[in-house]
Amino acid sequence: MSAQYTVTATPQAEENGAVELAVASLPVSFGPASEASATAGDAAQISAIDGAAGWTTEAIKAIDGGASGIVVVNPVPESTAALLDAAEASGVAIILDQRWASNPGLAGAEDPVRSVAGRAAMLDSVATAAAGSDPERLLTEHLAAVVRVTGQLDALQVLRRGTHGYTVSGRLANGAPVSLQGVLSNSRPAGVDFRLYTDDGGVSIAVPEPLAAWPAEVRATGPQGEILLPTLYESAHRATWRRLKEHLDAGTLPSDLTAFARLTESIAHLY
Amino acid sequence: MSSHSPATPLGSLQPLGVGILGAGPVTQAIHLPSLARLRNILEVRHIMDVDAAVAESVAARVGAKHSTSMDALLGDPDVDIVAICSPHQFHADQVIAACRARKKAVLCEKPFAMSGEEAARISAVSAETGVPIIVGAMHTFDPGWLAAEANWGDLPETAHTIRSSIVLPPNARFEDFATEIITRPASGTPDYRDVEVVKNALRGGIMGLAIHDLPLVRRFTPDFEDLEVLQARHVRPFGYVISLRAGERIIELRAAMNKTWKPEWTFEAISDDSALRVDFTPSYVQAGSAVATITRGTTSTTYGPYEHNGYEGEWRELAQLALGTKQPPAAESLINDLTFAIAIADATVDVAAAEYANSHAGAHS
Repeated sequence: MSAQYTVTATPQAEENGAVELAVASLPVSFGPASEASATAGDAAQISAIDGAAGWTTEAIKAIDGGASGIVVVNPVPESTAALLDAAEASGVAIILDQRWASNPGLAGAEDPVRSVAGRAAMLDSVATAAAGSDPERLLTEHLAAVVRVTGQLDALQVLRRGTHGYTVSGRLANGAPVSLQGVLSNSRPAGVDFRLYTDDGGVSIAVPEPLAAWPAEVRATGPQGEILLPTLYESAHRATWRRLKEHLDAGTLPSDLTAFARLTESIAHLY
Repeated sequence: MSSHSPATPLGSLQPLGVGILGAGPVTQAIHLPSLARLRNILEVRHIMDVDAAVAESVAARVGAKHSTSMDALLGDPDVDIVAICSPHQFHADQVIAACRARKKAVLCEKPFAMSGEEAARISAVSAETGVPIIVGAMHTFDPGWLAAEANWGDLPETAHTIRSSIVLPPNARFEDFATEIITRPASGTPDYRDVEVVKNALRGGIMGLAIHDLPLVRRFTPDFEDLEVLQARHVRPFGYVISLRAGERIIELRAAMNKTWKPEWTFEAISDDSALRVDFTPSYVQAGSAVATITRGTTSTTYGPYEHNGYEGEWRELAQLALGTKQPPAAESLINDLTFAIAIADATVDVAAAEYANSHAGAHS
C-alpha cells in the first residue's frame, strides 16, 4: 500500500479547485495536513495553489518549502521556464488542474480525433461561461481543452473579443478551418462544445464544468454509426489529484508545464 | 404580400388548385409529399417542367395536367395557387407573371429574387395586383419556430450572439426517403484551386443553404444593414465558416454538407440571461417540426415536436392566404430578408477571395 500524502491549499485554490472535496474522494492517497504537524513546522507534502497571475512564483516558493507535489488550479498564461527548471532540479511533480482540459474524458478523445484529423473539413468549438466572466481567461481555458485533443493549431487569430465573448480563427494541420467561439451567458450551460467534421462524420465532445462529476461526452461518428465513448463520472479536479498520485507513486514528472508553455506561447501570439 | 379576397374557413370548400413550375427533386420530394398530407384543402392540378417527360411523369403521380410552358400553367383556370420551384434565375419573372395572371397566392422557393431591384419589382406587382406572395423559407413556418416566437419575449432585443449551424448529408439521402426521384441535376468535381470556384461555392452556400435560416437570424438582428464580415471561409466539399457583426450582434454561420448520415440543423440566439435553441428536422422527409428550447437563467421550457414541418406549414399558410383568412407577410420584411442575404453573400465572397489570395501567397512564399 502506497503512502498517504498530506495536503494544504490556499483559500483561493480551495475555492476554485474544490480541493477538500477532491482530497476527500481519494482518502487513501491524500489527507489534510494536521494542525499538529503544521504547529510542529512540518511542511505538507502537497501544496495546492491558485493559478492567478504570479502562480509560477508561488509554485517555486512551495518547492523551496519542501513540497513534493504541487497542484495549480486554473493557471493563467505566464512563463513557466523558471518553474520547470526548479521542478526538474528538485524532482517535484507539478500538475495543472485546468477547468476543462483536465476532464478525464478528453484522454479518450485524443485517439478518435487524431485518427480523423487528416480528413478534417472543419473544427467548430464553442465555450460558454457565465455573463461577466473574463473573456481572455475563457479563451485560455477553451484553447487548452481544444489543443489537448487536436495538438497545436495553426494561424490562430482573434477576430473579435468583447464583453459577450470572442471569435478566434485558425487552421488544422491539413488546412481545414478552425473556429473557436466564446459566449458569455447565464442561460447556456457552461462548458466546451467541440465538433470536428470530416467527409463522412467526425468527433463531437461536450466537456462539462468541473463543479460535479458530470462526464464529458465523446462521440465518434462514421459510416457505420456513432459510438459514445465510455463515460467517466469523475470531475476534472479529482482526475487531476488522481493523476498526481500516479506520478508520485511512479516517481515520474508530468508534462503539464511543457504543454502549458506551448499554450502560453499561443496565447501570447494572439494578443 | 397583400390580401384580396373575403375570408372563407379553411377546409369548408373544394380543395384549392395548385400548379407547380419546375418538377425537380424539391417538387418531387418536398412539395408533393407535403401536399399529399393536405388533400382536404389543396389539390395538385398542373405540373410544368421544361423537360416534357419529367413534367408528364411527375404530374401522373398526382393525376395532374402537365405542360412545358409557364403560360399554359398560368392560363389554367383550375390553378389557384402557383408554386415556383424553378432555378433561381427564373424566380423573379415567374413570380411577377403569376401575379399578373391574378392567381390567389404565390409560393416562391428561396431566394425569391437575386437582387434588390428584382425584389422591389416583385413587391410593386404584388401590391398592384393584390396577389399575396410568400417565400419558401420553410423554417419560418415550422410550428416549433412559431411556438418559440410566441414565447421568446424580449430576446430579439437582448440577444448578443446568434448561431446557425447546418450539417447535412447529401440531399439524395433524404430525397430517397421521401419519394422515388427521377432526374437529379448533374454534379461535377469542383476545382477548388480556382478562386472563382471557391467564390461561387460560397455564394451558393449563402443563397442556397444559409438562406434557409437568414430570415431567422434577421429576427434577432435589428441593425442588419450595419454588416461587417469578420471571416468567410469555404469548407470542403460544400460548406462555410462565416462570422459577422451586425450592429452590436455577433452572427456565426457554420455549414458542412458531406457524406455523413447524421444531420444537425440548429439555430441559437443568446443573451446574457436567456437563450433560444431550435433543433430542426432535415428537409425532404416528413419528420415533424423543430424542437425549440427557451432557457431563462437555469430554467428551460421546450416546445415541440409537433406533427408537421415547415414545408407543410407554408402550404397551410398559402391556403389561408388564398382564402383570405390570413394576412400575408409584409413586403418590406421579405425584401429585407433578401437584401440581408445578398449583402452577406456579396461581402462574404469578397472576404473569401482576399483570404484565398493571402493563403496562396503564403503557401508559395
